[in-house]
Amino acid sequence: MTAQEVRLCGLLLREHFGEVVEKVGTHLLRSGAQNLRTIIHETGLPLDLVKKSLCVLVQHGACNFRSGRKGPGCPTEYQASGDRILRILRYPRYIYTAKTLYGDTGELIIEELLQRGHMTMSSTVKTVADRLTQNMEEGRSMDYSEVTSAFSKLVETQFLQRCPPMGGARNTKDTTPGTPASTALLTPESFPDCYKVPHITLIGRGKRRHSSDDGEDQKSAKKAKMDPETHGDEGIYWQVNFERFHLHFRDQAVISAVANKLDQTCSEIVRTMLRMSEVTTSPSATCTKPLSANEIFRSLPASYNILRPILDQYLTLLVDDPMEFVGKAGESGGGMFVVNLHRALANLARATLESAVQERFGSRSARIFRLLLRKRHLEQKQVEDFAMIPAKEAKDMLYTLLSQNLVQLQEIPKTPDYAPSRTFYLYTVNQLPTARMLLQNCYKTVANLIERRLFETKESKRLLEKSQRIEAILASLQVSGAEPEQLTEVEEMITAPEKQQLESLRLHINKLDSAENQVDETMFLLEAYVSSTATSTA
Amino acid sequence: MQSLYRTVMVKKELSRKAKLSIYRIRELCQQFPHGITDQVIQNDMPHLEPQQRAAAINKLLSLGQLDLLRNSSGLLYRMKDAQSASKMKGSDNQEKLVYQIIEDAGNKGIWSRDIRFKSNLPLTEINKILKNLESKKLIKAVKSVAASKKKVYMLYNLQPDRSVTGGAWYSDQDFESEFVEVLNQQCFKFLQTKADMSRDSKQSPMVQRNSSFATSHEVWKYICELGISKVDLSMDDIETILNTLIYDGKVEMTVIAAKEGTVGSVDGQMKLYRGVNPVIQPTGLVKTPCGLCPVFDDCHEGGEISPSNCIYMTEWLDF
Repeated sequence: MTAQEVRLCGLLLREHFGEVVEKVGTHLLRSGAQNLRTIIHETGLPLDLVKKSLCVLVQHGACNFRSGRKGPGCPTEYQASGDRILRILRYPRYIYTAKTLYGDTGELIIEELLQRGHMTMSSTVKTVADRLTQNMEEGRSMDYSEVTSAFSKLVETQFLQRCPPMGGARNTKDTTPGTPASTALLTPESFPDCYKVPHITLIGRGKRRHSSDDGEDQKSAKKAKMDPETHGDEGIYWQVNFERFHLHFRDQAVISAVANKLDQTCSEIVRTMLRMSEVTTSPSATCTKPLSANEIFRSLPASYNILRPILDQYLTLLVDDPMEFVGKAGESGGGMFVVNLHRALANLARATLESAVQERFGSRSARIFRLLLRKRHLEQKQVEDFAMIPAKEAKDMLYTLLSQNLVQLQEIPKTPDYAPSRTFYLYTVNQLPTARMLLQNCYKTVANLIERRLFETKESKRLLEKSQRIEAILASLQVSGAEPEQLTEVEEMITAPEKQQLESLRLHINKLDSAENQVDETMFLLEAYVSSTATSTA
Repeated sequence: MQSLYRTVMVKKELSRKAKLSIYRIRELCQQFPHGITDQVIQNDMPHLEPQQRAAAINKLLSLGQLDLLRNSSGLLYRMKDAQSASKMKGSDNQEKLVYQIIEDAGNKGIWSRDIRFKSNLPLTEINKILKNLESKKLIKAVKSVAASKKKVYMLYNLQPDRSVTGGAWYSDQDFESEFVEVLNQQCFKFLQTKADMSRDSKQSPMVQRNSSFATSHEVWKYICELGISKVDLSMDDIETILNTLIYDGKVEMTVIAAKEGTVGSVDGQMKLYRGVNPVIQPTGLVKTPCGLCPVFDDCHEGGEISPSNCIYMTEWLDF
């Protein structure tokens, strides 16, 4: 993990779980797999705190444990996974996607699971039903069966998956004492029941919690934890399947790119093709399974009643497009078509790089950058000629790009002694290393934004505390039935400039939050591109 | 007295013979403007002895009426232009040599150092000769656009080649960037309106796409008709401008096979250009100040430049 990634993970852990977990997590990220004794010794934290932090990390899937590498007698080692921690940044996007696909119920299910890490189906259903009932009008409540059906739909489309059973490490120790412990991490998909919904008996409706029952709330919450009711799914824990969400985001990115470049109908066709191959294509596939034009025609949404020849024309247009989103794989069935996923990702990553250069350095530098991407290796004179930029300015721009490491210099010597007057100097752009560099910049940017947000909050801590106190006083006064004059008197305890300051603080925090989400979109594209190249070269 | 007369007569006779041979050789040269070899002269005048032949040829050479050339089979004698013959009257051999070298360089011109290599004359001599020739208005110096200090020499009445002056984009050694920009925008507007028109026509998608294409010939005609260019632009020039639009990401190009003879086709191919929309919106990273920050690499928490005291962020937040 790079330093920037570790810094970002630390900030995310601090925000969501507190400083103790941050300390343990960053230590594990920096030092790799370690056992409990070493962690305690090196972080200097007491045993029970370390244990609790590790529990929190394991609960959220950010930490794995396995028996030691040095042999079966060794204590278990814990290893943090930085990728999983970085996903925390993307939680809002997951929740929003669930909302668009499955409505409020789906949104709340995903939100609960993201918050708790692992949960059984029955407890999820109950909690979500209670929350939904809370927001409904008086007298109405949410039926458990509705929530259960939403949950099953999420499992069917593989957005949720079962957690792999944790007994793996112990089993190998018992059965094979002599062999070294297996180092392969078991993926959830390696279990056949991954997406099977258990049969649970859960009949009832959501309970509404009234605000006056605050004290009772605590008790009922505690009671729910030690609820002796069993619903038939003990030990089966569910977690959110991030990979599936990522595939969905990737499909969305490809569809919107097609819509931007061509037109709405083309994007609808591509959307149909991707939907048809959702479950048949593996996540790391280069392109989807071939689909015949007949199938596509049948599966188009009914609102788009285009004629068959027109569909053929659109498909030909998609195939001929230089971006190569869709390719032709054969002639049977009216033409077999595939969506070129890896190429689409590469094109999107290239467009991201070009846009980053354009915004930062200007459109003429972007012209030089695109020129070098197309023509691979060029001498300085050739760059000036092709880009039609005066020599002095072109030289200046090239050197700026070179100093930022967006462009590399390749020396080709004519003589073995590399004399400068007898060497060719060629400028070139390598897409993959540049994408990686930009990805690291994204990590640093998000970390900067989070730090700025924390700083702004800390600066106005006094003011925030004051406003919270005043709100509490107001609330209690309202409940106890005070007169309007008292209320206004309390309200005026916050002066107008302070109110303005609070307002601007709120705006700042919102802006920083939304900026984090925007940078996360760039991060997702670049990460998807880098991992797609890794699998294709492997 | 008689013997004198005889000697004189003999001399006259000799010189008459020589003159005849000279005239004959000259006629032969005029007959064969590409040049004649020694063999041809011998065949024509078999009675002429080799020394007399050589003497006649030397006379013609010294008079500057004959050119001595060498080809693969031997020596060639060619008639010199009367005009150029008159020009070189009064110049000596060295100047003639230098003039010859410059003439051979054609319209690309030749650098003074290269003249020195080819003629093996010392630098001072070369400079003197060049000044001489320039004052006689036989050659001229043209500044090269590639290296502004370098001067190439070429014949006075020749048009310098494009590689020296830079072609249509350079006027007096200056790259005309505004001119290029204007052309850029005009071409782009033309292609974009064409694409928009085809999109609004609501025909079948294939027809729409094909009508949004414009050949390079159409663009060239449009630009010529616009009349914004003082210089005549060729189709190649327009294609270089269109290529810059491709590198701007605003235009894409395809090549189709075209019948020979259709207007605008080059070697059986035609280049088609079409305005396109960008594939993605500006990426999220550049919507934050960090994405555009010039001191991004120096920024650390706790340093002089840090997220907490970043002035770019403060400005951006208050926007």
